[in-house]
Amino acid sequence: MSGACGLGRGVTIAAFALLLVSGPALAQTGRAVTQGPVSKSAGTCGTCHPSERVQHEKSAHADEGVTCVSCHGGNDATLDKAAAHGAGYRGRITKSEEPKLCASCHSDESRMRPYDLPVDQWALYETSGHGKALAKGDTRVAVCSSCHGAHEIRAASDPASPTFVTNIPRTCGTCHGDAKLMGATPHKGMVYPEYMTSIHAQELLTRGNRQAPTCVNCHGVHGATPPAVGDVGKVCAHCHTAERRYFASGPHGTKLAKAGLSECASCHSDHAIQAALPARLDTVCSVCHGADSNEAKLGRTMLTDYRGADKELERAAAIIAKADAVPVRTEDYQARLEEGRTLLREALPAAHSVNPALVKTFTSRAQSVGHEIQAEIQHKLDDLRWRKIGLLLFWFYVVLTLLVLRRFREQGAREI
Amino acid sequence: MPEPTETPQAAPGSGATPTRRGFLTWMSRGLLGLWGLGATGAIAAYLRAPENEGQLSERTVRVGPLDDLRLGEARLVRHGATPFFVIRTDAEHVVALSAVCTHVRCILGFDRERRALVCPCHDGRFDLAGNVLAGPPPRPLRSFEVALRAGDVYVKL
Amino acid sequence: MSTERAPRHGWVEWLEGRMRLTELFSFFTHFGLVYTPIDTTRPMREVIRLLGSQRIPRYDRWPHVLGPLMAVLFGLEVFTGLLLSYYYQPSSGDAFASARTIVRDLPFGWFLHQMHTWGSYALVAVVALRLLRLFWDGLWRAPREVLWCSAVAATWLALQADFTGRLLVWDTHSYWSVVRGLEVVFALPVAGPLLSFLLGGRVITDHLLIRFYILHIVVLPLLFAATMYATFATLRRVGLSAPEGRTVPTTTHREYLFSLVRFNLVLFAGLVTLAVLAPLPFFGIADPYTTPANVRPPWYMLSPWLISEKLPVPVWLTGSVLLAIAIAVLLMPLWARGKGIAEERRIRLAGTLLLAVWVALTVAGALVGRK
Repeated sequence: MSGACGLGRGVTIAAFALLLVSGPALAQTGRAVTQGPVSKSAGTCGTCHPSERVQHEKSAHADEGVTCVSCHGGNDATLDKAAAHGAGYRGRITKSEEPKLCASCHSDESRMRPYDLPVDQWALYETSGHGKALAKGDTRVAVCSSCHGAHEIRAASDPASPTFVTNIPRTCGTCHGDAKLMGATPHKGMVYPEYMTSIHAQELLTRGNRQAPTCVNCHGVHGATPPAVGDVGKVCAHCHTAERRYFASGPHGTKLAKAGLSECASCHSDHAIQAALPARLDTVCSVCHGADSNEAKLGRTMLTDYRGADKELERAAAIIAKADAVPVRTEDYQARLEEGRTLLREALPAAHSVNPALVKTFTSRAQSVGHEIQAEIQHKLDDLRWRKIGLLLFWFYVVLTLLVLRRFREQGAREI
Repeated sequence: MPEPTETPQAAPGSGATPTRRGFLTWMSRGLLGLWGLGATGAIAAYLRAPENEGQLSERTVRVGPLDDLRLGEARLVRHGATPFFVIRTDAEHVVALSAVCTHVRCILGFDRERRALVCPCHDGRFDLAGNVLAGPPPRPLRSFEVALRAGDVYVKL
Repeated sequence: MSTERAPRHGWVEWLEGRMRLTELFSFFTHFGLVYTPIDTTRPMREVIRLLGSQRIPRYDRWPHVLGPLMAVLFGLEVFTGLLLSYYYQPSSGDAFASARTIVRDLPFGWFLHQMHTWGSYALVAVVALRLLRLFWDGLWRAPREVLWCSAVAATWLALQADFTGRLLVWDTHSYWSVVRGLEVVFALPVAGPLLSFLLGGRVITDHLLIRFYILHIVVLPLLFAATMYATFATLRRVGLSAPEGRTVPTTTHREYLFSLVRFNLVLFAGLVTLAVLAPLPFFGIADPYTTPANVRPPWYMLSPWLISEKLPVPVWLTGSVLLAIAIAVLLMPLWARGKGIAEERRIRLAGTLLLAVWVALTVAGALVGRK
């Protein structure tokens, strides 16, 4: 430990000091930034663009080697802005450029095959209302990033994604619920609030029924176009098959088509669709035909039949409950009650044929099932009356026995 | 000739001849005996264990002889609150599936050609394993265990 | 008429030569079949003849009739319960189904079930009434302490049999009322943890159910029979009581037997009438995961429960108070000393007031939430 070590120590200290100073000094090119960790997917871009980096890291692209430069070009290995924004840098992507840019990968089958993703999005988009408007130069329409996000692109199965099924109404509603933006359209931005009042929205959002339709189920996803007036029925029939079948068999089908009115939306509305309660049969016919018309009377007839059958089934359910409390065996009747309810449930789609005789085939069968159940259970309950008759006989027998006992007692007392 | 019979003690107030008294006594005893008979009968009826194996716990239902089901045929068994279909898929195998649609509880129908169960309400379709093939039903159908015993089909609910 | 008869040589004598029949007979008399003491060294026929000529105090009249009534109802419960147990299955999965099979499908099953239930209500009423009458007439004093304690014990046991029996049906109503009742029981300071250990936990599981079953069909009936034994043992020593100034009227055994058969018949007819005209309803199966509205414990636990519901008094406190009162009632002969009319009146008044408060709380508890 002589002067040589002391020199060594001094050199080490000086070297350290130099390093400590040089770091920030090296970074002092342009503006002062703190050097954060280099992101795997965002590279050094994230240093200046931290919020985009954070979003990108949450996306499905982050782990698949899709980096900032994949879309924006430039250089993500340098902190020098000029170099980073250098050759090939595309900058902010404009709306018109977007579909083609995204499709450069997403329409490439060989690239999308391993992920099992479709490759027809761009083709469909070009047929859609959005795509056609964009082709004409209108940039107020939705492009890829409008629904999927620009950087935080998640899979549609991810509940945080704007394209997740329960989020779709809100995503579409961002534009289609904006009155100012939709000023030129016939609906003026009312579709979104109207949809949110509908039974479909209630099923989806309140009851969590993922089978309930959102905007894309009727309008299409990438090829989103409002269905033509004549096609509305076909769209509703994705699920409401029976209703369409019966409607087609009735007089309304051809007449509405000729009048240029849509099949389903004329009575049920297109977005603000409420639950189809039987009571509508009373009121809906009057809208077109007038309250005192024969047609309205027909509607009321169908409603009366339906209500009659419904009441019988309700009474059957009540007597089943009463019998259960006794208890009397009711399981067989419960199955028949379900059959009766199935029959009644088909009566409402059948009403779309506006053929009361057809509706009656269902309601009368449902009614007779209800009636049968009531009659048979009542019979079983009446059988219980035999118990009361038995009770009377029993009392009679008790009185007799008391008399006999008294006789024996007196007899015995006398003999003693 | 005086007969050595029981001298009828004309007990005050009885007013009955010996034969009538004997008869009444016999009747009275019979009446009291009826209590015993009745009680024994009722208790015996109660204690007689039910014959059907599945009666005490309605969980196992005897559907019927296997030979009564044709190949590819389905039969709806209206059992209580859980009606079910029994479908003979081949010579040895029988499947039992709930007949209640998982959508809004309509009772299903059987489509023989397509070997599928179809719901008349919204066209929901199920295959013979209970999986949803098409339509709005959210869940597959419940299937039940089938046992073949002595040529009869039993379904365990 | 001579009482001497020629010696017989029937099967009774054959048996008499091989065992002491009178001892066997006295076993039944210990449980009240015959009130008076009998000499077990004498042969059977002689004893019966002696009994025939003896006069006994009447206890087929009020108030002594409550004793035999209690014994008869107990016998009815044992008999109907035995028949019911042939088909009942004490597991949580099968309990309701087996009970429903009995009531719905088996011939006379409904009848047995209704007799058992109405009989249990009648038994509880009789046992409670007997207790009240013993209290009112001051028959808890010396030398009848054992009588009083066995009467109190009989009341407790009857209520416990009601509680355990309730759960066995496993229907909504009874399951949840037992849950509420157990809340009160398990909240007790020392007895609570001990009971939850003995009953197999704090939650209603299969273990608890089967222990309730064993209690209901074996333990509690045996203990109840033991209280009856104690009652008659003490009665044989201290004699039947009589209201002041009067003597208990006497009658012959034969008369008494007829009287007994007659009122049993009337009692049976009354229960059968209730079973047919006012059958107690059968609710749906219990769902341990869904609590119905307005659930409350059985009626005898309504008073502590009501206080805990309405006032910020913890359940363990109200339960303990009730338990302390019950123990105090049991041990009344030890602490309630003092003679004289004034003392008697004071005790009667105190007892009546306490009872009135308890009844008022119980009624209020039953009406709460019914509006």
